[in-house]
Amino acid sequence: MFFHIVLERNMQLHPRHFGRNLRENLVSKLMKDVEGTCSGRHGFVVAITGIENVGKGLIRDGTGFVTFPVKYQCVVFRPFKGEILEAVVTMVNKMGFFAEAGPVQIFVSNHLIPDDMEFQSGDIPNYTTSDGSVKIQKDTEVRLKIIGTRVDATEIFCIGTIKDDFLGVINDPAAV
Amino acid sequence: MSIEPFNRLVKLTARAFYDDITKMESQPKTGRSDNRGIAVVVLDALTRRQWVREEDLAKELKLHLKQLRRILRFFEEEKLVTREHRKETAKGAKIYSAAVAATGDGQQTGKEGEEKIKLHTHSYCCLDYAQIYDVVRYRLHRMKKTLKDKLEDKNTVQEYICPNCGKRYNALDALRLVSMEDEYFHCERCNGVLVPENDKLVAQEVGDGDDNARRRQRENVKDQLERMEAQLKPLNDQLNRVKELAVPEFGSLQEWEARATAAARAANSSANDPSKSSQGLGYGGTPMPFLGETKVEVTFSGVEGKEGGVKSESASMDVKLMPPWMIKEGMNLTTEQRGELKQEAKMDGSSGQVDSSDDKKSTVQNGEGQNIQEEYFKAYYAALLKQRQEAVEAAKRQESLNMPDFDDLPSNRQVGMKSKREDDEADNDFEWEQPPISGNASESYKVNDLNAEAEPSGDDDDDGVDWESD
Repeated sequence: MFFHIVLERNMQLHPRHFGRNLRENLVSKLMKDVEGTCSGRHGFVVAITGIENVGKGLIRDGTGFVTFPVKYQCVVFRPFKGEILEAVVTMVNKMGFFAEAGPVQIFVSNHLIPDDMEFQSGDIPNYTTSDGSVKIQKDTEVRLKIIGTRVDATEIFCIGTIKDDFLGVINDPAAV
Repeated sequence: MSIEPFNRLVKLTARAFYDDITKMESQPKTGRSDNRGIAVVVLDALTRRQWVREEDLAKELKLHLKQLRRILRFFEEEKLVTREHRKETAKGAKIYSAAVAATGDGQQTGKEGEEKIKLHTHSYCCLDYAQIYDVVRYRLHRMKKTLKDKLEDKNTVQEYICPNCGKRYNALDALRLVSMEDEYFHCERCNGVLVPENDKLVAQEVGDGDDNARRRQRENVKDQLERMEAQLKPLNDQLNRVKELAVPEFGSLQEWEARATAAARAANSSANDPSKSSQGLGYGGTPMPFLGETKVEVTFSGVEGKEGGVKSESASMDVKLMPPWMIKEGMNLTTEQRGELKQEAKMDGSSGQVDSSDDKKSTVQNGEGQNIQEEYFKAYYAALLKQRQEAVEAAKRQESLNMPDFDDLPSNRQVGMKSKREDDEADNDFEWEQPPISGNASESYKVNDLNAEAEPSGDDDDDGVDWESD
């Protein structure tokens, strides 16, 4: 699920950036530092949408670096148990398959794949129904439901299922 | 009796879930101390009681008190039974036994000042029907949900186990376990190939191929689910039946005692037992004599204010619903209470007798004539036997002409006598249709024994007809 929230961060800025473009430099550095990171608390930071305010800078003794407390608005993405996501399959093996929904890695184990799909090893490992009409392999897009999440301080990992109504392959680029 | 369906529910529950409970047995079970089924017995016994002291229950069930306690503690944890412990003197215990005095701890301590008595902790237990209903429903729901989830593989996190070192992983570790060399997960410690662990059944049949085992497991679960539904159907039915009914509630021990007192007193208001009233005054600082009868909610909630509003409300509801039931069941508890019951019954009986004799009196007002008439017949037959005359009818007529004045004489006779006579003459009922004729003397009938009377009764009817025709 996506959230638009305000976060705060202390930015350290090198003295060489001081000058007319200090603010721009600060923001670009913030984006570089924060976007794409993951915190267990808020989820993945997808994008910074604006700066609320920049506090007074504090010069660090000895280094000359300046610390600015920056408040910024951002879009975060946090997966929840029970949530339905669309994801792209990245790897298929005998134990199941891995998929990605943006930054989130999701594992679907083989007992959460419908029983009529069988694993086919080979050049391109895949799961295929007996009549061959549906195939899950690398780059297939699937809709899945998250049934468990592991949230660490800097990492979120999910396991999902496609064994439910309206879940499964939604678009297979290989078939087109 | 709205408690019957609930009792049935409890019994079904006991048999369904607590049939072979051995958990409460801490030491390993030997042949002799095999106490499976005891739980069912205890629950059944509790359905026949309300609040009961555990010592008494143990005595009645011929169980050791400790054993019973263990079972009750187990049921308390299972939320089927509410228990209450309180310190009371021997006297206090007696009061409970009477189940009449509404004693609270506070009042008791007041009494203790003068008599230095040892305090004993007594425990009481009682079924909590409302909670039982919920607990059973929840239990069934959980059972069904677990099986259904298993059946549909919903919300199950696949577990993996390393056959070499026995380390366990689950699907959330998948990212770390995946290896680039082949399509299996590998143990972090020994790099062995992990096998998925569905459950023991599958683990045994791993060689058999994954899919096959899984299918078999599914069948198994399905079968289990079906059997569960079939076997618990009576319980489910009973739950549905009970759903609409008002749940019997006894309230806390104190409330219950208070109510029992009130009910008993209401029952005995005519027969005034001095000992009881003195007890009530001595211990129940706030005697609530007419609680059951008057149904004044205000007094009730006022008394129970400290217990919390909801409870008192429900309790008062209860009182409203079935005071007569309370009276009966309340008396029907322990041996002491049974003694009480007997007393009670005696009173009831006596009052009942009075009532019935009153009734009789009223019936006697119309039955009066019948009595008289019977007397008359007896006298008549005595005379008949003696005389054996042909001119019976003439004599009868004579008598009837003479007797009507005496009609109201017998009505002054004592009630006791009459009732005695009723018993004796129960077999003569058919004579009642006949018109009132007063007998001459009751002694004469006493001289005769019943056998003698019974014989001529055949003629009797004819005579009656004759009379009616007159």
